Formats: sequence, structure tokens, C-alpha cells
Amino acid sequence: METAVHGREIRKDNPTLRKVLRVIIWVLLIALAVFTLIPFVWMISSSLKLDREVFAFPMRWIPETFHWENYSLIWQRVPLLTYFKNTAFIAIVVTVLQTLTSSFAAYAFAKLNFRGRDVLFLCYIGTIAVPWQAYMLPQFIMMRSMGLYDTLWAMVVLQAFSAFGVFLMRQFYRSIPTELCEAARLDGLSEYGIWARIMLPLSKAAIATLVIFTFVNTWNDYMGPMIYLTRDVNKTVQVGLRRFIQENSSDYHLIMAASLCSLLPVSIVFLCLQRYFIEGIATSGLKG
Amino acid sequence: MSQAEVKKVRYRMGKLERKNTLVAYSFLAPNFIGFAVFTLVPVICAIALSLFEWNGGDISKLKFVGLDNYATIFATKKVAEKGIEYFFNRADLGIALKNTVYYTVVTVPLTIICALALALLLNKIRGAVFFRTVFFFPYVSSMVAICVCWSFMLMKDGPVNQLIMALGIDFNKGWTADSTMAIWSIILVSVWRNMGYYMVLYLAALQGIPRELMEAATVDGASRWQQFLHVTLPQLKPTTFFVSVMMVISCFKIYDVVAIMTDGGPGRSTKMLVTYIYDEAFVKVRYGQASAISMVLLVIVLAVTIIQFSSEKKFSND
Amino acid sequence: MKKMLSVLLAAMLLLSVLAVPALAEDQVLTVVTWDATTTPYLVAQKEAFEASHPGVTIEYVDVASQDYAVKTTTMLEGGDTSDVFMIKEIDNLINWQAQGFAAPLADYIAQGYDMSGFVGTEKNYAVDGVQYAIPFRSDFWVLFYNKDLFDAAGVALPTNDMTWDQYAELAKKMTDKEKDIYGTHYHTWLSAVVNWAVCDGVNTLADKNYDDLLYFYKLYQDLEDSGACMSYADLKAAGLHYSAAFANGNIAMLPMGYWYVSTLIGYNKDGTCNFNWGITAVPHAEGVAAGSSFGNLTGAMINTKSEKKDLAWEYISWLGGPEGAKATASVGARPAWVSEDVATVMSSVEGFPADDNSKAALLPSAVAMEWPVAEKVSDIKTIVNEEHSLIMAREVTPEEGIEEMNERVAELFE
Repeated sequence: METAVHGREIRKDNPTLRKVLRVIIWVLLIALAVFTLIPFVWMISSSLKLDREVFAFPMRWIPETFHWENYSLIWQRVPLLTYFKNTAFIAIVVTVLQTLTSSFAAYAFAKLNFRGRDVLFLCYIGTIAVPWQAYMLPQFIMMRSMGLYDTLWAMVVLQAFSAFGVFLMRQFYRSIPTELCEAARLDGLSEYGIWARIMLPLSKAAIATLVIFTFVNTWNDYMGPMIYLTRDVNKTVQVGLRRFIQENSSDYHLIMAASLCSLLPVSIVFLCLQRYFIEGIATSGLKG
Repeated sequence: MSQAEVKKVRYRMGKLERKNTLVAYSFLAPNFIGFAVFTLVPVICAIALSLFEWNGGDISKLKFVGLDNYATIFATKKVAEKGIEYFFNRADLGIALKNTVYYTVVTVPLTIICALALALLLNKIRGAVFFRTVFFFPYVSSMVAICVCWSFMLMKDGPVNQLIMALGIDFNKGWTADSTMAIWSIILVSVWRNMGYYMVLYLAALQGIPRELMEAATVDGASRWQQFLHVTLPQLKPTTFFVSVMMVISCFKIYDVVAIMTDGGPGRSTKMLVTYIYDEAFVKVRYGQASAISMVLLVIVLAVTIIQFSSEKKFSND
Repeated sequence: MKKMLSVLLAAMLLLSVLAVPALAEDQVLTVVTWDATTTPYLVAQKEAFEASHPGVTIEYVDVASQDYAVKTTTMLEGGDTSDVFMIKEIDNLINWQAQGFAAPLADYIAQGYDMSGFVGTEKNYAVDGVQYAIPFRSDFWVLFYNKDLFDAAGVALPTNDMTWDQYAELAKKMTDKEKDIYGTHYHTWLSAVVNWAVCDGVNTLADKNYDDLLYFYKLYQDLEDSGACMSYADLKAAGLHYSAAFANGNIAMLPMGYWYVSTLIGYNKDGTCNFNWGITAVPHAEGVAAGSSFGNLTGAMINTKSEKKDLAWEYISWLGGPEGAKATASVGARPAWVSEDVATVMSSVEGFPADDNSKAALLPSAVAMEWPVAEKVSDIKTIVNEEHSLIMAREVTPEEGIEEMNERVAELFE
């Protein structure tokens, strides 16, 4: 397993062993990838079938006839484009706010000593532990009184200040040696300067991670928008998807088609950001 | 040092500390204000609610009942009469608790092992971009779609059972319709969905391991296994800590997969704490009782988290 | 300065987005409901009401059907001012009434509102003798059959007067494993399998004794064992919907709610299925009158916080009354208001089967409530459904499951 991690060092070893290991890893990875992807293959194939064919037995991986019109049907049946725009708006604003504020707050939790730090942090963790269903009602009543009900801003404020981001960034900052900060302090940098000039550049990978998670979570959130967004002009993709499930009939083929479409934007975000996992702080010359 | 000087130093240090605290608060403020208003306050309301009987409607209908809600959910009367087995075998809370703990205990290590293994395999390898994206896919896709999809995969004559049959094991039942396998179908879907997510966390953390450390270990003649044990793993500790805390919490809060795939069934075999809370709050409209169950959940998760935190402090190098 | 202006502009834009545009002349009535765009009767009702009430616009607030209870409850708790809320399950109304969200209708009714056409069903929406909602749809269960399959097999069609044993026999007769034809189909719900026990009008599902369900569980398991219907385990795992299953054309009979009529008519129209079908009354147990069924109500209530209560009353009284009933019936749904007129509208819907039996099935001899209004009924529901799923998945025998039901429900009332 760890051979892959240090592929560079393997060169010293026996070349045949190296090759064998590499083959094993590849076989393993491909097997895992197939396991991961099979449900998606099924989704794609279902999205091209008629409703009643979706669960028909014996199952067909390749549809009898390809119903490409499903992909145009979804945009006509519900205002999916509006849903996409709303979701994109919420996801982008939340991601920006979340990343900024939580990396800021996390710096204080990770690198500063101040009174009440542990208690405050426990508050953050504690709220993560309370299921949303439990405090949904008080929160809803509050949001309503602020006039945020059925506005996209409700979703923004709901998700932009989550404890999760703070916790994640704190963990990353903790792994950055404190000596770096102290050296910078001696050089006369203010705490804000340290955050901006040292922490931020060093935590590119962490920020990329947070961006991805926040974006994906906001994009795929269902319960929040379901409760807070009511008018069609405000709905999000995930809520819109459920419109294909009705009381007495469900259009699973359309759900699959729409889900696959909603997969695209998130995948693009992931693809764009994932290179930061390679260009993390290891290559930016961290010397402890 | 004279007394006066000591005082002066103390004073200066106090001033410095106050200044530091102020700086720290300025860092916290943007997030904390939003957090306090939109999350903390409602959570505190929910905690208070667990001591009241409230079936909705006007706030004036709130009735303080002390610990009655807790007595009800723990079925104290019946337990006193019939023993503790009653709680775990018949009371809704006991069953939900048992199921949730079972699910958590299996899912957390399984997901961590899968995620870590994937991250290590994909850390530096050709084609990593492709594989990383593949493994992250499940996390990105919408819950309804994947749950519907897995329900189909796990049908009696579905692909998974066909595979199992091909391996010579005779299992001829739909997973979600069997009370022992239903929870495993939830576990399977959870691991499948989340391993990519935690893999990403580990990948990011692996980038943070200074190469010098690795090289030093190699020079010292450490085998790769030793290197993994003594360099990689310790360096991943903050991430593992984070992952395990987050996983325990999210496992205790499992809801969507259950709601879509089994709805707590068959019988009560996949009834979880949050499905129970949801049911109490929105079907039976007993908000006080629903809050009380949430508090049970909160206490358990906090206890686990505090244990994890104290072990973090004990083992962390700084 | 420029910066400030742009900030101001942005703030104004924001405000304009947040503010809901108010219409001065036209009256808008907001009605909270589910599946608003895809449910034909909602569309028909809106059109008919707006046509007869110029200047009034009905605006539906569309909620996903499976989340209806949680979303509407949250809305009401949060002080929502939507005028009318439709009622999906009777429990919803009972809760809302207790919480003070449902406006009492006694004063309006006292002004002379005729409720005779509801034949007593409206009493399910009354608490302590005070009416809180008006029913506008009343679905009862019927037996659907695929006429083409019966004709092809040369078997006589089901009739309006069959006992459950005769029905089971017929189902086995129609089953043809080689041709992949199932004699009947049961959806996974409790209501589809054993709710028949309440058809006698004496038993209810809240009467704390579930022994009367045994006969129906045995009947079902016998059919499942003989291969006359698909197995519960498969249906459950696949989430296979009865509508798609029956539309597939290889199922001879299907006991289902009347609402399925409009779905089938739609399927015939858009070509999803193209066989001839008909309906009959559901079979009856020995000693129970033919044509007895059970059903469920759908209604509407006025939100206490509504600022247009009079208009809202105008709407819901119209909706439940004969005019609304015709609009509802015109698309194949069954209104709560029963009369000759309405029955004529129902059977003359394009696509409705033309035979006399199907028409006769429109007028059941008695309709019991699927779930009665009773103390702790939502707790009972949970318990009975949990045990139901165990019996159906054959984790326990029907006898064991029913004993559990009896025991657990009894515990509730200790």
C-alpha cells in the first residue's frame, strides 16, 4: 500500500518486484473504480429508458431504445434552469463566505491563546452534534421573523457560518508548526499579517478541500432548501429533483437524467481544484 | 525584582493578554456572529425545549414538565417493572440507540480504512486525477438518485446478489427487505458514498507531510512499513482526529439514506436516532420529546468527542 | 462617492428582490398543496374557480408530496400567512386544530352551507362537533383489471360481487408463469394488503385488536407463495411503483385507490400503456355487503393567520360543493360531494371504461375510513406499519406479528 506513496524511492528496489507491485495496485484500483462506478452506469442507462423499463426484470444495462428526449424533457417539465441558477448562487456565495470566515476564525482557535477558547470551541463542536431536525423549528421561526423565509439569503446565512469549516481549518492550521508564527511575530508581523502571508499560502490544500466540501454540500443539500424555499423561482436543483417523485407516480428515468446533469457542475469544481492536493505545502518548501 | 516591578510586569502581561484576546476575538467575530445567531441560539432553544411539553402552536402552550420527557423516552416506568432488557428490546429509544451505535461502530473504522487506503494508493501515481475523481463521484451525486440506484443494486435478483451467487454464497433475499441485512445495506451505501470524501481529506493531509521527514526515515534505513507506521501515520494524526470526530458525529446523525432506502424498516431494524427524532417532531408533533431525544444524542456525541479530544492532547506532539 | 452609490444601488436591488410584489386590484388566494403542476384536478379546479370568480387568482404553493407534513407544519409554526392549506392526512388537521392553526368554520356553515352531499364524511374533519375543514376529494378503493388479459385467457371478468376467496381463486387462474403474467398485484402499503378488515364498518385500525387482519395476511401469503403476485421483498427493494407495474400489462388485477383512474387515463392518452382496463368494487369478506370499501379524504382548511378568510371560505366551500366537485370529477378524480350529476361527470370522462360494471363501481355501498380519528392514532400507525413490514418480509409469521401489534398498542394506553 505504502509503496505508491513513495514511488520515488522504489527505484532502488528490485525492478521486477516494483513492476509486480505496480500491477497489483492498478488491478486493485480498477476493481475499486468499477465497484464505485457501476451504480452510475445504471443511472446513465436508466436515464435513457422509459419509466416502466427502469425496474423491469431481467435488467438491461443497455436500453432497448435510447430515449435521449428524457434529457430535454427534464428542462421542460420543471424550470430546471432556474433551479440551477439558484443553486449556483447559493453554493458560490456560501463557499466564499464560509472559506473566508472559517479560515479566519480557525486561525484564532489554532494559533492564539485567549480566554474562553476551549469553551467557545466546544460550542462549535457541540452544535455539530445536534441534529438539524432538532433545532430546525426555532431556527425557522427566527429566520421568518427576520424576513428571510423563502429567499435565497436564508440558505446563505444558514450554511455560511457552519461549525464544520472552522473545525476543518483548525485541524489543518494545527499541523503547521507554531515556530513559523513565532518567527514571523519576532519579525514584526501582526497576527493578521501572519494569517494572510503565512497561513493562507500554506493551507492551499486545506482551502481547496474546504471549498470543495462546502460547494458540494450546499449543492446537494435537500432538507434546508425544502424547508426554507417555497416559490418555484427560489427552488434549488435537489428540491426540483423531487418534483419528479409524486404522490402516486415517480419518474425515475427523469430523476436519473436530472441527477446526472446536476453532477456536472460539482464535478467541474472538483476537477479544477483537485490539483491543489498535489501542489500542497510539501512542495512550497516548508521547513519546520 | 522588587514587588513593584513584578506588579508592573504582571500589568504589562495582563495588557498584552487582553490585547491578544481582542485580536483573537476579531478573528472569530465574522464567523461567530453568524454562527451564534443562526445556529447557537436555535440549538440552545432546542436544549431548553427538552424540559417542556409543547405540541406546537402558540408559545403560551409551552408547559414546563422537568424531566418528564426523558422519563417517557427512557420508558422508566416499564424498565423499573421489567428490567433493562425492556429498554433495549422494546422501547423505541433503546432500539434506535442500539441500531445507531451498531451502525456507527461498523461504519467509522470501515470508512477510515477505505479512505486512508485510497488516499495512500492515489497520493503519487499516474492516473491519480482520474481515480480521485471517480472515487469522489459518489459523494457529489444527489442522495435520491444514489439511494434509488442502490435499492435496485441490492434487490433479490439484483447485480450485487448475482455477484454474491457467483462467488458461491447463497443469499436469495432483497437486502433492504431483510431485517439483518437492511442495516448493512445502509452501511454499504454510507461507506461507498463517504470514502471519497474522507479520501480527499487524507490526500490534502498527505501533501502536508514534509518530504524531509520521509527522506530522513529512508536514510535511517527504515522499511516502508516502518516509515508508514512511524512517519506517515503520526503526521496524519490531526486529520485522523478530525475525520474520526466528524464521522462519529455524522454517523450518529444518519438520516437521509435510511429515510429513502428503508424508512426504518423492516420492523424497527433500521430505526435510527434521527429518524426517531423526525418522527416524534413532525409526525407525532411532540417537540419536547423530540428535543429530549436530541439531547441524548448530543450527550453521547459530546462524550465521545471529549474523549477523542483528550486523547488528541495526550498524543499530539506540540 | 461612486463607491457609496454602487453600494446603495446594490442594497436597493437586494431589497427589490426580497420584497414580494403586491397586487392592488386582483385578489390572490394562496393555497398550499402538493404536486400542484402535475395533479390534473388541481389544474381543473383552479381554472373553474377563476372562471366563476373574476378578479380572484388562485396561487398554489407547491410542496413535494413526501415532505408535505414536515414542510407545512414548519410553515404554520413559523407563522405562515398562506390562506388555505390542503389536508393530505386527517392527522394533519387534527394536529393543526390542536395547535390553533385551523380556523373554525362553524359561523360560515351556520349561514346555510349545505353539507348533505358529503354523506357524513365531513365529520372526520370535525373536532368536538366543530367543523375545521371541508373535504373535496374522497378516494375509496376499487379493483382494477386488465381486460385484454382476461379476454386473451378466456376467463370471465371480475364482478362487483366477489368474495375474497373467489378473488384469490381468480388471481391464481389468471397467473401464467410462462407468459410472465401475474394474477394480481399488491402494493407494499398496509392499506393495500389488510386494510380490507375495516370495510365491515365495525372494525377500525385503532380498535386495539388486530386479529381480524390475520385472514388477509394469510390470503396474501398464499397468493405470494403460489406466484400469483410479485413478492413484497422485491417490490420493497426496487421501490417498484404499482402504477408502472400495472401499466406494464402483465398484471391481471390490482386493488388500488380510485385516484389511479386518472393516472391510467393519462397513460392511455400518452401511450405509456395501451390495453383496455376496467374497475369493479373491491371483493368483500363473507357477511359483508358487496360494494363495501374504505377510503381516505382530502380537504382544505383556512389558516387562522389568513387575512382573507372570507375569500378563503368562498374558495373551500366552492371546492367541496357541487361546482367544485364537477371540476374535480372532470379529470377522473373522485370528489367528496356525491350526487347523480357528479357521477355522470365521472363516468363521462374521456377514457373512463364504458362498461356498466365500471360505472356501477363508482357508487360503493359503504365507505369506511382507512384510519379513524382516534386517540394516539399516529403512534398506532407507526406500530402497525412496523409490524406489517416484518410480516410482509416474512421475518415473523402473521400470527406473531399480530400478537406484537396487539401487545405494543396495548402498551401505549397503559
